[in-house]
Amino acid sequence: MNTHVPRFEPVAQQNLDWLGTEPIPASAYYDPAWFELERQAVFRRSWLQIGHVCELPEPGSFVRREIEVAHASILIVRGKDLRIRAFHNVCTHRGTQLVAEEAGRQSSFSCPYHRWTFSGEGELVGAPDFEQFHVTKADCALPAIAVDICAGMIFISFAEHPPVLREWLGDLAERLEALPIAKATTFTEYVYEIDANWKLTYDNFQENYHLRFIHPRSSGGGTGPDNPFGYPARYGFHGPHRTQTIWVNSEAPLPSTATQVAFGTAMQRLAAQGVTATEDGRDYFALFPNFFLFGSPAQHFSHMVMPINATRSRGVFRLYWIGEDSSASERFAREHLMALTRDVHSEDRGVIEAGQRGLSSGALRHIHFQTQEVLCRHLYNEVEAAVRAYQAETAAGIT
Amino acid sequence: MSAQLPKGFAALEPFAERWAGATAAERADLRAAHAIAERDAFAAACAPLLAQGLARLDQTPLAEQDEAEQRLMRLLLTYAHVSLAAVQGPDEAMHARLRTDMRITRTPADV
Ligand code: FES
Ligand SMILES: [Fe+2]
Repeated sequence: MNTHVPRFEPVAQQNLDWLGTEPIPASAYYDPAWFELERQAVFRRSWLQIGHVCELPEPGSFVRREIEVAHASILIVRGKDLRIRAFHNVCTHRGTQLVAEEAGRQSSFSCPYHRWTFSGEGELVGAPDFEQFHVTKADCALPAIAVDICAGMIFISFAEHPPVLREWLGDLAERLEALPIAKATTFTEYVYEIDANWKLTYDNFQENYHLRFIHPRSSGGGTGPDNPFGYPARYGFHGPHRTQTIWVNSEAPLPSTATQVAFGTAMQRLAAQGVTATEDGRDYFALFPNFFLFGSPAQHFSHMVMPINATRSRGVFRLYWIGEDSSASERFAREHLMALTRDVHSEDRGVIEAGQRGLSSGALRHIHFQTQEVLCRHLYNEVEAAVRAYQAETAAGIT
Repeated sequence: MSAQLPKGFAALEPFAERWAGATAAERADLRAAHAIAERDAFAAACAPLLAQGLARLDQTPLAEQDEAEQRLMRLLLTYAHVSLAAVQGPDEAMHARLRTDMRITRTPADV
Protein backbone atom coordinates (compact mmCIF):
# COMPACT_ATOMS: atom_id res chain seq x y z
CA MET A 1 0.00 0.00 0.00
CA ASN A 2 3.02 2.28 0.32
CA THR A 3 3.40 4.28 -2.84
CA HIS A 4 7.04 4.11 -3.72
CA VAL A 5 8.70 7.53 -3.77
CA PRO A 6 12.03 7.23 -5.57
CA ARG A 7 15.02 8.43 -3.56
CA PHE A 8 16.13 11.91 -4.48
CA GLU A 9 19.10 12.05 -6.83
CA PRO A 10 20.78 15.43 -7.31
CA VAL A 11 21.66 16.47 -10.86
CA ALA A 12 25.05 14.91 -11.66
CA GLN A 13 28.10 17.08 -12.39
CA GLN A 14 28.76 15.21 -15.64
CA ASN A 15 25.58 16.76 -17.09
CA LEU A 16 26.87 20.21 -16.18
CA ASP A 17 30.52 19.88 -17.17
CA TRP A 18 29.91 22.04 -20.24
CA LEU A 19 29.48 25.05 -17.93
CA GLY A 20 32.99 24.68 -16.51
CA THR A 21 34.23 24.30 -12.96
CA GLU A 22 36.66 27.23 -12.76
CA PRO A 23 36.61 29.68 -9.84
CA ILE A 24 34.92 33.01 -10.64
CA PRO A 25 36.68 36.41 -10.41
CA ALA A 26 35.47 38.14 -7.24
CA SER A 27 35.92 41.60 -8.78
CA ALA A 28 32.87 41.00 -11.00
CA TYR A 29 30.83 41.46 -7.82
CA TYR A 30 32.16 44.87 -6.75
CA ASP A 31 34.45 46.52 -9.31
CA PRO A 32 32.88 49.71 -10.75
CA ALA A 33 34.83 49.26 -14.02
CA TRP A 34 33.34 45.79 -14.53
CA PHE A 35 29.91 47.14 -13.61
CA GLU A 36 30.27 49.81 -16.29
CA LEU A 37 30.94 47.05 -18.83
CA GLU A 38 27.81 45.20 -17.63
CA ARG A 39 25.79 48.38 -17.98
CA GLN A 40 26.75 48.69 -21.61
CA ALA A 41 26.97 45.03 -22.59
CA VAL A 42 24.07 43.60 -20.61
CA PHE A 43 21.60 46.20 -19.40
CA ARG A 44 21.61 48.52 -22.40
CA ARG A 45 21.21 45.54 -24.77
CA SER A 46 18.89 43.05 -23.07
CA TRP A 47 15.12 42.99 -22.77
CA LEU A 48 14.29 44.06 -19.20
CA GLN A 49 11.08 42.98 -17.48
CA ILE A 50 9.63 46.14 -16.03
CA GLY A 51 5.91 45.71 -15.34
CA HIS A 52 2.65 44.04 -16.21
CA VAL A 53 -0.19 44.99 -18.55
CA CYS A 54 -2.64 45.00 -15.62
CA GLU A 55 -0.95 48.24 -14.50
CA LEU A 56 -2.16 49.90 -17.70
CA PRO A 57 -5.84 48.98 -17.83
CA GLU A 58 -7.13 51.94 -19.89
CA PRO A 59 -6.12 54.45 -22.55
CA GLY A 60 -3.97 57.06 -20.78
CA SER A 61 -2.87 54.68 -18.00
CA PHE A 62 0.83 55.12 -17.35
CA VAL A 63 3.63 54.04 -15.03
CA ARG A 64 7.00 55.71 -14.50
CA ARG A 65 9.97 53.44 -13.90
CA GLU A 66 13.42 54.62 -12.79
CA ILE A 67 16.10 52.54 -14.50
CA GLU A 68 19.24 53.74 -12.74
CA VAL A 69 21.43 51.25 -14.58
CA ALA A 70 20.56 53.03 -17.82
CA HIS A 71 20.56 56.48 -16.17
CA ALA A 72 16.99 56.70 -17.40
CA SER A 73 13.47 57.47 -16.26
CA ILE A 74 10.93 55.70 -18.49
CA LEU A 75 7.25 56.35 -19.04
CA ILE A 76 5.16 53.40 -20.15
CA VAL A 77 1.81 54.52 -21.49
CA ARG A 78 -1.24 52.92 -23.04
CA GLY A 79 -2.34 55.11 -25.94
CA LYS A 80 -5.80 55.92 -27.26
CA ASP A 81 -5.23 53.11 -29.76
CA LEU A 82 -4.68 50.78 -26.75
CA ARG A 83 -1.07 50.18 -27.77
CA ILE A 84 1.55 50.23 -25.04
CA ARG A 85 4.54 52.50 -25.73
CA ALA A 86 7.65 53.36 -23.77
CA PHE A 87 9.28 56.81 -23.80
CA HIS A 88 12.08 58.53 -22.02
CA ASN A 89 10.49 60.72 -19.36
CA VAL A 90 12.22 63.71 -20.88
CA CYS A 91 10.67 66.84 -22.38
CA THR A 92 12.08 67.43 -25.87
CA HIS A 93 12.30 71.20 -25.31
CA ARG A 94 15.15 71.36 -22.81
CA GLY A 95 15.14 68.00 -21.14
CA THR A 96 13.02 68.49 -18.02
CA GLN A 97 11.54 65.30 -16.55
CA LEU A 98 7.90 65.35 -17.52
CA VAL A 99 6.13 63.18 -14.98
CA ALA A 100 6.77 63.02 -11.25
CA GLU A 101 3.91 60.64 -10.36
CA GLU A 102 4.73 56.96 -10.16
CA ALA A 103 1.55 55.93 -11.93
CA GLY A 104 -1.79 57.33 -12.99
CA ARG A 105 -4.11 58.02 -15.86
CA GLN A 106 -4.19 61.15 -18.00
CA SER A 107 -4.84 61.97 -21.65
CA SER A 108 -1.73 64.14 -22.05
CA PHE A 109 1.53 64.99 -20.28
CA SER A 110 2.51 68.63 -19.71
CA CYS A 111 6.02 69.70 -18.89
CA PRO A 112 6.13 71.79 -15.70
CA TYR A 113 8.77 74.15 -17.13
CA HIS A 114 7.24 75.81 -20.26
CA ARG A 115 4.15 73.64 -20.66
CA TRP A 116 4.98 71.68 -23.76
CA THR A 117 2.25 69.07 -23.90
CA PHE A 118 2.56 65.54 -25.25
CA SER A 119 -0.14 63.01 -26.12
CA GLY A 120 -0.31 59.48 -24.75
CA GLU A 121 1.18 58.43 -28.07
CA GLY A 122 4.21 60.63 -27.45
CA GLU A 123 3.51 63.39 -30.00
CA LEU A 124 4.04 67.03 -29.16
CA VAL A 125 0.48 68.37 -29.34
CA GLY A 126 0.87 71.80 -27.81
CA ALA A 127 3.66 74.29 -27.04
CA PRO A 128 3.14 77.92 -26.01
CA ASP A 129 4.31 80.44 -28.64
CA PHE A 130 5.69 77.62 -30.77
CA GLU A 131 6.07 79.98 -33.77
CA GLN A 132 9.20 81.32 -32.09
CA PHE A 133 10.93 77.94 -32.43
CA HIS A 134 12.95 76.76 -35.40
CA VAL A 135 11.75 73.16 -35.44
CA THR A 136 8.56 71.27 -36.31
CA LYS A 137 6.30 69.62 -33.74
CA ALA A 138 6.74 66.34 -35.57
CA ASP A 139 10.46 66.50 -34.76
CA CYS A 140 9.72 66.97 -31.06
CA ALA A 141 7.97 63.69 -30.21
CA LEU A 142 9.06 62.00 -26.98
CA PRO A 143 12.07 59.74 -27.53
CA ALA A 144 10.70 56.19 -27.72
CA ILE A 145 12.40 52.99 -26.67
CA ALA A 146 11.55 49.40 -27.58
CA VAL A 147 8.71 47.75 -25.66
CA ASP A 148 7.05 44.37 -26.09
CA ILE A 149 4.76 42.03 -24.16
CA CYS A 150 4.94 38.33 -23.33
CA ALA A 151 2.58 36.54 -20.92
CA GLY A 152 1.22 39.91 -19.79
CA MET A 153 4.71 41.02 -18.77
CA ILE A 154 6.05 44.29 -20.16
CA PHE A 155 9.64 44.25 -21.36
CA ILE A 156 11.67 47.27 -22.49
CA SER A 157 15.00 47.49 -24.25
CA PHE A 158 17.44 50.35 -24.68
CA ALA A 159 18.98 48.64 -27.71
CA GLU A 160 18.45 50.44 -30.99
CA HIS A 161 17.64 47.20 -32.78
CA PRO A 162 16.75 44.65 -30.11
CA PRO A 163 15.97 41.08 -31.10
CA VAL A 164 12.31 40.13 -31.32
CA LEU A 165 11.21 39.50 -27.70
CA ARG A 166 9.82 36.05 -28.43
CA GLU A 167 13.07 35.04 -30.07
CA TRP A 168 15.00 36.41 -27.11
CA LEU A 169 12.85 34.27 -24.77
CA GLY A 170 13.11 31.27 -27.08
CA ASP A 171 11.18 28.17 -26.05
CA LEU A 172 10.36 29.76 -22.69
CA ALA A 173 7.91 32.23 -24.28
CA GLU A 174 5.23 29.61 -24.78
CA ARG A 175 5.71 28.18 -21.29
CA LEU A 176 5.45 31.64 -19.73
CA GLU A 177 2.25 32.31 -21.63
CA ALA A 178 0.66 29.20 -20.11
CA LEU A 179 1.27 30.51 -16.56
CA PRO A 180 -1.29 32.46 -14.48
CA ILE A 181 0.71 35.67 -14.90
CA ALA A 182 -0.57 35.85 -18.48
CA LYS A 183 -4.10 36.27 -17.06
CA ALA A 184 -3.24 38.26 -13.94
CA THR A 185 -5.28 41.38 -13.23
CA THR A 186 -3.67 42.57 -10.00
CA PHE A 187 -0.75 41.91 -7.68
CA THR A 188 0.75 42.31 -4.24
CA GLU A 189 4.16 43.99 -4.13
CA TYR A 190 7.01 44.37 -1.65
CA VAL A 191 10.32 46.05 -2.35
CA TYR A 192 13.75 46.36 -0.81
CA GLU A 193 17.01 48.15 -1.35
CA ILE A 194 20.25 46.43 -0.57
CA ASP A 195 23.93 47.29 -0.34
CA ALA A 196 24.93 44.48 -2.66
CA ASN A 197 25.84 43.82 -6.26
CA TRP A 198 22.92 42.74 -8.44
CA LYS A 199 24.45 39.33 -9.29
CA LEU A 200 25.33 38.57 -5.68
CA THR A 201 21.72 39.43 -4.76
CA TYR A 202 20.21 37.50 -7.65
CA ASP A 203 22.41 34.45 -7.09
CA ASN A 204 21.00 33.97 -3.61
CA PHE A 205 17.68 33.21 -5.27
CA GLN A 206 19.06 30.63 -7.67
CA GLU A 207 20.87 28.28 -5.32
CA ASN A 208 19.32 26.11 -2.61
CA TYR A 209 22.56 25.30 -0.77
CA HIS A 210 21.65 28.01 1.80
CA LEU A 211 18.09 26.85 2.52
CA ARG A 212 18.71 24.87 5.66
CA PHE A 213 20.95 27.55 7.17
CA ILE A 214 19.07 30.73 6.27
CA HIS A 215 15.50 29.41 6.32
CA PRO A 216 15.59 26.82 9.10
CA ARG A 217 12.03 27.55 10.19
CA SER A 218 10.26 29.27 7.30
CA SER A 219 10.70 26.75 4.51
CA GLY A 220 10.38 23.35 6.10
CA GLY A 221 9.00 21.76 2.93
CA GLY A 222 12.11 22.67 0.96
CA THR A 223 14.40 20.08 2.52
CA GLY A 224 13.96 16.49 3.67
CA PRO A 225 15.85 13.40 4.87
CA ASP A 226 16.93 12.25 1.42
CA ASN A 227 17.52 15.81 0.16
CA PRO A 228 18.91 17.64 3.20
CA PHE A 229 19.98 20.68 1.18
CA GLY A 230 16.80 20.86 -0.87
CA TYR A 231 18.66 20.71 -4.17
CA PRO A 232 16.51 21.05 -7.30
CA ALA A 233 15.15 18.07 -9.16
CA ARG A 234 16.23 19.48 -12.54
CA TYR A 235 17.99 22.35 -14.25
CA GLY A 236 17.17 23.75 -17.66
CA PHE A 237 19.31 26.03 -19.85
CA HIS A 238 17.70 28.13 -22.54
CA GLY A 239 20.18 30.47 -24.19
CA PRO A 240 21.00 33.14 -21.59
CA HIS A 241 18.00 32.09 -19.46
CA ARG A 242 17.72 29.15 -17.07
CA THR A 243 15.18 27.21 -15.02
CA GLN A 244 15.18 24.96 -12.00
CA THR A 245 12.49 22.54 -10.95
CA ILE A 246 12.30 22.72 -7.20
CA TRP A 247 12.08 19.61 -5.10
CA VAL A 248 9.35 19.48 -2.48
CA ASN A 249 9.25 17.31 0.61
CA SER A 250 5.70 16.02 0.24
CA GLU A 251 5.79 14.68 3.79
CA ALA A 252 6.48 18.05 5.45
CA PRO A 253 3.36 19.38 7.21
CA LEU A 254 2.12 22.91 6.50
CA PRO A 255 3.30 25.05 9.41
CA SER A 256 -0.07 26.23 10.75
CA THR A 257 -3.85 26.16 10.43
CA ALA A 258 -3.72 29.66 8.95
CA THR A 259 -1.44 28.35 6.20
CA GLN A 260 -3.69 25.35 5.55
CA VAL A 261 -6.73 27.64 5.31
CA ALA A 262 -4.88 30.02 2.94
CA PHE A 263 -3.65 27.32 0.57
CA GLY A 264 -7.04 25.57 0.65
CA THR A 265 -8.84 28.77 -0.33
CA ALA A 266 -6.28 29.66 -3.00
CA MET A 267 -6.43 26.24 -4.65
CA GLN A 268 -10.24 26.26 -4.65
CA ARG A 269 -10.33 29.69 -6.22
CA LEU A 270 -7.76 28.76 -8.85
CA ALA A 271 -9.74 25.62 -9.71
CA ALA A 272 -12.89 27.73 -10.08
CA GLN A 273 -10.95 30.01 -12.43
CA GLY A 274 -9.85 27.03 -14.48
CA VAL A 275 -6.20 27.43 -13.46
CA THR A 276 -4.63 24.05 -12.85
CA ALA A 277 -1.08 23.41 -11.75
CA THR A 278 0.90 22.70 -14.89
CA GLU A 279 4.15 20.82 -15.29
CA ASP A 280 5.82 24.19 -14.72
CA GLY A 281 4.16 24.72 -11.32
CA ARG A 282 7.43 23.88 -9.57
CA ASP A 283 9.69 25.71 -11.98
CA TYR A 284 11.63 28.87 -11.34
CA PHE A 285 12.19 30.80 -14.53
CA ALA A 286 15.29 32.98 -14.48
CA LEU A 287 15.15 35.39 -17.41
CA PHE A 288 18.43 37.05 -18.29
CA PRO A 289 19.63 39.29 -16.90
CA ASN A 290 17.72 40.09 -13.70
CA PHE A 291 14.22 38.59 -13.47
CA PHE A 292 12.65 35.54 -11.81
CA LEU A 293 9.18 34.08 -12.02
CA PHE A 294 8.01 31.13 -9.93
CA GLY A 295 5.45 28.99 -11.76
CA SER A 296 3.46 27.89 -8.70
CA PRO A 297 -0.12 29.12 -9.20
CA ALA A 298 -0.83 29.68 -5.48
CA GLN A 299 2.34 31.69 -4.76
CA HIS A 300 2.99 32.99 -8.24
CA PHE A 301 5.72 35.46 -7.46
CA SER A 302 8.15 37.42 -9.59
CA HIS A 303 11.36 39.08 -8.47
CA MET A 304 13.31 41.72 -10.33
CA VAL A 305 16.77 42.78 -9.12
CA MET A 306 17.65 46.18 -10.53
CA PRO A 307 21.24 47.38 -10.20
CA ILE A 308 21.68 50.91 -8.89
CA ASN A 309 25.46 50.84 -8.90
CA ALA A 310 28.19 48.19 -8.56
CA THR A 311 27.32 47.47 -4.93
CA ARG A 312 23.74 48.64 -4.53
CA SER A 313 20.51 47.19 -5.91
CA ARG A 314 16.75 47.36 -5.59
CA GLY A 315 14.51 44.31 -5.55
CA VAL A 316 10.83 44.18 -6.42
CA PHE A 317 8.77 41.13 -5.49
CA ARG A 318 5.25 40.67 -6.76
CA LEU A 319 2.65 37.98 -6.23
CA TYR A 320 0.31 37.99 -9.21
CA TRP A 321 -3.41 37.27 -8.83
CA ILE A 322 -6.31 36.72 -11.19
CA GLY A 323 -9.31 38.89 -10.23
CA GLU A 324 -9.81 41.23 -7.30
CA ASP A 325 -10.38 39.71 -3.85
CA SER A 326 -13.73 37.96 -4.32
CA SER A 327 -14.41 37.15 -0.66
CA ALA A 328 -13.09 37.57 2.86
CA SER A 329 -11.52 34.13 2.62
CA GLU A 330 -9.66 35.01 -0.54
CA ARG A 331 -8.48 38.30 0.95
CA PHE A 332 -7.15 36.40 3.96
CA ALA A 333 -5.48 33.80 1.73
CA ARG A 334 -3.67 36.41 -0.36
CA GLU A 335 -2.49 38.34 2.68
CA HIS A 336 -1.17 35.18 4.31
CA LEU A 337 0.49 33.80 1.16
CA MET A 338 2.29 37.14 0.82
CA ALA A 339 3.33 37.10 4.49
CA LEU A 340 4.79 33.61 3.97
CA THR A 341 6.94 34.54 0.97
CA ARG A 342 7.93 37.86 2.56
CA ASP A 343 9.19 36.02 5.64
CA VAL A 344 11.44 33.83 3.50
CA HIS A 345 12.61 36.70 1.30
CA SER A 346 13.42 38.87 4.34
CA GLU A 347 15.75 36.12 5.52
CA ASP A 348 17.39 36.08 2.10
CA ARG A 349 17.83 39.83 1.99
CA GLY A 350 19.28 39.77 5.49
CA VAL A 351 22.22 37.53 4.62
CA ILE A 352 23.37 39.06 1.32
CA GLU A 353 24.90 42.34 2.51
CA ALA A 354 27.44 40.50 4.67
CA GLY A 355 28.65 38.76 1.51
CA GLN A 356 29.05 42.11 -0.21
CA ARG A 357 31.09 43.55 2.64
CA GLY A 358 33.45 40.60 2.38
CA LEU A 359 33.78 40.82 -1.38
CA SER A 360 34.15 44.61 -1.45
CA SER A 361 37.11 44.31 0.93
CA GLY A 362 39.08 42.90 -1.98
CA ALA A 363 40.34 40.05 0.20
CA LEU A 364 39.33 37.41 -2.35
CA ARG A 365 40.54 37.01 -5.90
CA HIS A 366 38.01 34.30 -6.65
CA ILE A 367 34.77 32.82 -5.40
CA HIS A 368 33.64 29.22 -5.88
CA PHE A 369 30.44 27.64 -7.13
CA GLN A 370 29.70 23.98 -6.43
CA THR A 371 27.77 21.68 -8.77
CA GLN A 372 24.44 22.68 -7.26
CA GLU A 373 25.22 26.38 -7.60
CA VAL A 374 25.42 25.91 -11.33
CA LEU A 375 22.73 28.49 -12.09
CA CYS A 376 24.93 31.18 -10.51
CA ARG A 377 27.77 29.97 -12.69
CA HIS A 378 25.56 30.10 -15.77
CA LEU A 379 24.60 33.71 -15.03
CA TYR A 380 28.24 34.69 -14.64
CA ASN A 381 29.15 32.86 -17.86
CA GLU A 382 26.40 34.65 -19.77
CA VAL A 383 27.34 38.06 -18.36
CA GLU A 384 30.99 37.46 -19.14
CA ALA A 385 30.20 36.36 -22.68
CA ALA A 386 28.14 39.52 -23.23
CA VAL A 387 30.94 41.70 -21.85
CA ARG A 388 33.58 39.98 -24.03
CA ALA A 389 31.41 40.37 -27.13
CA TYR A 390 30.89 44.05 -26.34
CA GLN A 391 34.62 44.58 -25.80
CA ALA A 392 35.42 42.86 -29.10
CA GLU A 393 32.90 45.05 -30.94
CA THR A 394 34.23 48.23 -29.34
CA ALA A 395 37.80 47.24 -30.17
CA ALA A 396 36.76 46.59 -33.78
CA GLY A 397 35.02 49.96 -33.87
CA ILE A 398 31.57 48.44 -34.44
CA THR A 399 29.81 50.34 -31.68
CA MET B 1 -17.99 49.26 26.23
CA SER B 2 -20.28 48.53 23.27
CA ALA B 3 -19.47 45.68 20.92
CA GLN B 4 -17.19 46.57 18.03
CA LEU B 5 -17.36 43.19 16.27
CA PRO B 6 -20.15 41.04 14.84
CA LYS B 7 -22.01 38.79 17.29
CA GLY B 8 -20.17 35.64 18.25
CA PHE B 9 -16.70 37.22 18.31
CA ALA B 10 -16.66 38.63 21.84
CA ALA B 11 -13.39 36.81 22.48
CA LEU B 12 -11.71 39.19 20.01
CA GLU B 13 -13.19 42.40 21.50
CA PRO B 14 -10.16 43.09 23.74
CA PHE B 15 -8.01 43.26 20.59
CA ALA B 16 -10.37 45.27 18.38
CA GLU B 17 -8.72 48.64 19.09
CA ARG B 18 -5.06 47.80 18.73
CA TRP B 19 -4.84 44.92 16.26
CA ALA B 20 -7.09 45.89 13.33
CA GLY B 21 -4.45 47.27 10.94
CA ALA B 22 -5.85 49.41 8.11
CA THR B 23 -3.30 48.46 5.44
CA ALA B 24 -1.25 45.34 4.77
CA ALA B 25 1.93 47.21 5.71
CA GLU B 26 0.40 48.27 9.05
CA ARG B 27 -0.79 44.74 9.72
CA ALA B 28 2.64 43.32 8.98
CA ASP B 29 4.17 45.84 11.41
CA LEU B 30 1.64 44.95 14.13
CA ARG B 31 3.22 41.49 14.31
CA ALA B 32 6.12 43.06 16.20
CA ALA B 33 4.50 46.22 17.60
CA HIS B 34 3.25 45.07 20.99
CA ALA B 35 4.49 42.98 23.91
CA ILE B 36 5.04 39.31 23.17
CA ALA B 37 2.45 38.26 25.75
CA GLU B 38 -0.20 40.44 24.09
CA ARG B 39 0.75 39.14 20.65
CA ASP B 40 0.44 35.56 21.84
CA ALA B 41 -2.90 36.30 23.49
CA PHE B 42 -4.16 37.81 20.22
CA ALA B 43 -2.99 34.76 18.25
CA ALA B 44 -4.54 32.39 20.78
CA ALA B 45 -7.86 34.25 20.55
CA CYS B 46 -7.84 34.28 16.72
CA ALA B 47 -6.80 30.69 16.05
CA PRO B 48 -10.03 28.95 17.11
CA LEU B 49 -12.20 31.66 15.47
CA LEU B 50 -10.46 31.89 12.10
CA ALA B 51 -12.63 29.44 10.16
CA GLN B 52 -15.81 30.73 11.79
CA GLY B 53 -14.82 34.36 11.23
CA LEU B 54 -14.08 33.88 7.54
CA ALA B 55 -17.32 31.90 7.08
CA ARG B 56 -19.26 34.73 8.72
CA LEU B 57 -17.55 37.40 6.57
CA ASP B 58 -17.92 35.37 3.37
CA GLN B 59 -21.71 35.93 3.65
CA THR B 60 -21.26 39.61 2.74
CA PRO B 61 -19.59 41.04 -0.37
CA LEU B 62 -16.38 42.83 0.69
CA ALA B 63 -17.61 46.20 -0.57
CA GLU B 64 -20.76 45.95 1.57
CA GLN B 65 -19.16 45.12 4.92
CA ASP B 66 -20.42 47.26 7.81
CA GLU B 67 -17.99 48.73 10.33
CA ALA B 68 -18.06 45.73 12.65
CA GLU B 69 -17.44 43.35 9.76
CA GLN B 70 -14.60 45.50 8.44
CA ARG B 71 -13.00 45.45 11.85
CA LEU B 72 -13.27 41.67 12.08
CA MET B 73 -11.80 41.39 8.58
CA ARG B 74 -8.82 43.52 9.57
CA LEU B 75 -8.24 41.57 12.76
CA LEU B 76 -8.15 38.31 10.82
CA LEU B 77 -5.86 39.89 8.22
CA THR B 78 -3.50 40.96 11.00
CA TYR B 79 -3.64 37.37 12.23
CA ALA B 80 -2.51 36.30 8.72
CA HIS B 81 0.82 37.90 9.71
CA VAL B 82 0.86 37.29 13.46
CA SER B 83 0.26 33.54 13.04
CA LEU B 84 3.75 33.34 11.51
CA ALA B 85 5.43 34.54 14.72
CA ALA B 86 4.90 31.03 16.11
CA VAL B 87 6.68 29.55 13.09
CA GLN B 88 9.72 31.74 13.82
CA GLY B 89 9.53 30.90 17.53
CA PRO B 90 12.73 32.03 19.29
CA ASP B 91 13.97 33.72 16.08
CA GLU B 92 10.99 36.07 15.86
CA ALA B 93 12.68 39.15 17.40
CA MET B 94 15.68 38.85 15.07
CA HIS B 95 13.35 38.11 12.17
CA ALA B 96 11.29 41.25 12.81
CA ARG B 97 14.39 43.34 12.08
CA LEU B 98 14.91 41.56 8.75
CA ARG B 99 11.31 42.21 7.73
CA THR B 100 11.46 45.97 8.19
CA ASP B 101 13.62 46.22 5.05
CA MET B 102 10.99 44.41 2.97
CA ARG B 103 8.42 47.18 2.45
CA ILE B 104 4.90 46.23 1.36
CA THR B 105 3.86 48.73 -1.29
CA ARG B 106 0.64 47.29 -2.67
CA THR B 107 -1.99 44.60 -2.13
CA PRO B 108 -5.43 44.09 -3.68
CA ALA B 109 -6.86 44.66 -0.17
CA ASP B 110 -5.38 48.18 -0.09
CA VAL B 111 -6.36 49.32 -3.59
S1 FES C 1 11.76 72.04 -20.73
FE1 FES C 1 9.82 71.20 -21.03
S2 FES C 1 8.67 72.84 -21.80
FE2 FES C 1 10.63 73.68 -21.54
FE1 LIG D 1 16.57 31.76 0.24
